[in-house]
Amino acid sequence: MRQLRWGLFASSFAVLAFAGAASAETIKVGVIATFSGPNAIWGKQFREAIQVYAAEHGTEVNGNTVEFIYKDVGGPNPDASKAAAQELLIREGVKYLAGFDFTPNAMAVAPLINQAKVPAVIFNAATSAINEQSEYFLRTSFTLWQVTVPIAQWAADNGAKKVITAVTDYNPGVDAESAFVSAFEEKGGTIVDKIRMPLQTTDFAPFMQRIKNSGADAVFAFLPAGPATFAFTKAYNENGLKEAGITFYGTGETDETTIDALGDQAIGLTTAYHYSGVHDSDLNRSFTAKLEEMFPQSRANLASVGAYDGVHLIYKMIEAAGTDGEKAIESSKGLSWESPRGLISIDPDSRHVIQNVYIRRVERAENGSLVNREFDTVENVPDLGFSR
Amino acid sequence: MSRESTIDNVRTSLPIAKTHWPLVFLTLGACAAFLLFPYDLGFMTRILIMMVFVISFDLILGYAGIATLGHAAMYGCGAYAAGLFAVHISPDPLLGLASGAAMGALIAFVSGLLLMRAHGLSLLMLSIAVTMVLQEIASKARDVTGGADGLTGISMGPILGVFEFDFIGKTAYWYAFCALFVILALLRILVASPFGLALRGIKDSSSRMRAIGTPVYWRKVTAYVIAGAIAGIAGALSAQITSLVSVEVFNFALSAEVMVMLVLGGSGRLYGALIGTLVFMTVHHVAASIDPFNWLFAIGFMVLGIVFFLPDGLISLPKRIRRMIGAVR
Repeated sequence: MRQLRWGLFASSFAVLAFAGAASAETIKVGVIATFSGPNAIWGKQFREAIQVYAAEHGTEVNGNTVEFIYKDVGGPNPDASKAAAQELLIREGVKYLAGFDFTPNAMAVAPLINQAKVPAVIFNAATSAINEQSEYFLRTSFTLWQVTVPIAQWAADNGAKKVITAVTDYNPGVDAESAFVSAFEEKGGTIVDKIRMPLQTTDFAPFMQRIKNSGADAVFAFLPAGPATFAFTKAYNENGLKEAGITFYGTGETDETTIDALGDQAIGLTTAYHYSGVHDSDLNRSFTAKLEEMFPQSRANLASVGAYDGVHLIYKMIEAAGTDGEKAIESSKGLSWESPRGLISIDPDSRHVIQNVYIRRVERAENGSLVNREFDTVENVPDLGFSR
Repeated sequence: MSRESTIDNVRTSLPIAKTHWPLVFLTLGACAAFLLFPYDLGFMTRILIMMVFVISFDLILGYAGIATLGHAAMYGCGAYAAGLFAVHISPDPLLGLASGAAMGALIAFVSGLLLMRAHGLSLLMLSIAVTMVLQEIASKARDVTGGADGLTGISMGPILGVFEFDFIGKTAYWYAFCALFVILALLRILVASPFGLALRGIKDSSSRMRAIGTPVYWRKVTAYVIAGAIAGIAGALSAQITSLVSVEVFNFALSAEVMVMLVLGGSGRLYGALIGTLVFMTVHHVAASIDPFNWLFAIGFMVLGIVFFLPDGLISLPKRIRRMIGAVR
């Protein structure tokens, strides 16, 4: 009898302990991105920023453990992205999706997250139309309209009269071109010519001649960061456009991970963007210091800050709603916080981040590396391309 | 000796179309996979689609000996055709597959008229060029294809008006399986037919085939068109199941991967194509989920090892083992 009572006591205790453990569950977050192949830099930047955030803020939210599961899709590949999302949702039971470096990869999961009612936080993919595909998309990066309209307006306010646009001929380039042209003409400026350059080319000399001959006093360029930007800025210098006083305006060309490869020819390029690795704030300094401490070879760029803020958003949603996707989305609307890029908030309509856009110039920092030094700010810019 | 009996003699000497066991195995395998891995249907559906694609490449490389690096051209055209068909004309999946097949065949015919006149390196280069041209068109015709953002707005109706596409991907899995099954059954008949024998003859010696009166060029064009239609179906399946088509369907990497999968499994054998695809994609998937950052090493070593030790592909493994045991005795 005594033994039985002890047994009962012990088992009821075990049940209690178990119930306590059950309310604190492991919440899984699936990260779909490119971790292999030529675009692996995206996945690498995402993962490092996620790990930095977890190191700073721990992996527990309201007693729940947050676990990240990484899925590689090897580049722009909607088939793989959709299959990965299916596997994460069905087998792993993830309650949040995140990542998404390329637009098609994000687009492909829209029907799934609609059905599963799982929020998906986009760390990069910058086409405005994505957030229209599902109520469950949130985005902590930027859109092309969001950074291009400010540079057009700023250029018009700061003396540019006649501008020629030179963009890479694919969707982001065309998006950037239409955003720039409409905003610049609204301000009373003149677009003297629009050049679209092939995606694969690295020979920009003929375009430089056209830019020179057009009589423009500035060129707005949109190119993929990396080899294309390198070749373009080289041609820009070698063909004497810089000496001729034709200003270069851009957006994300001077990405922190590739900027040092551009060399001295990049110095003086003017760009508008939402984040620079040398943004002047304590939070950014502690973020970049932690990143450097954990990953000495790394430099923070837009992908890092997109992922860092994305994880912050996911932590906030878990805090407010746990695993309830619908409630999580509601709780995220209007949320504002301080990010390494400055104060940001989530637009309740577009579920996209409202943020400052900074006008920067490339400089050589004291430690010898090239940086984007911010010198002017366009405040609180929403996604200007949403439902356009 | 009559012509018919010659064919019969040749046919019985070839390891094809003698039994239906392989089709039964395939069906059993698909059922087992369905029951054992209910959470991986999305991935397994991709394997099935890839099998359709690789088997179409087997027809031209393995049987007719036409080595190209542009098979993604037909896959991509099929995908865009099915996608556009679903967006603008009808959400019926089977009609969409037919449109994909038609488009794949059409593009294979048009490009094949030129390509089948070329050999060796020039054929490789030309086939790459065709694919690049198509990719550029898809990327430029943004109003039609959505360009680099991908073709969106594809929503599929139920198959035969009954089977809705579901969240877990059960319908998609069986849909892709049925497509593979039908295509495989038809191809088995095709490769055992006089036409299939002619293709083998062309692979071994096209000058002799010409000498006995075979219209080598047109046989090759026909094979290319049939392979194109099947590749188009593979593309259409992927477009319908993913509900999105991106310009990456024309990627060079896809054309190259198809060749790797075929060589891995063993070209010139329909089941070699299936085995190669299964092994390649499974190793890819498992390695990538164990280590999403460095999995490419595993793939590289596997391909190296198999090409080095089993030059005829995985399908020759049993024969090799048998020979090794024989040698030991």
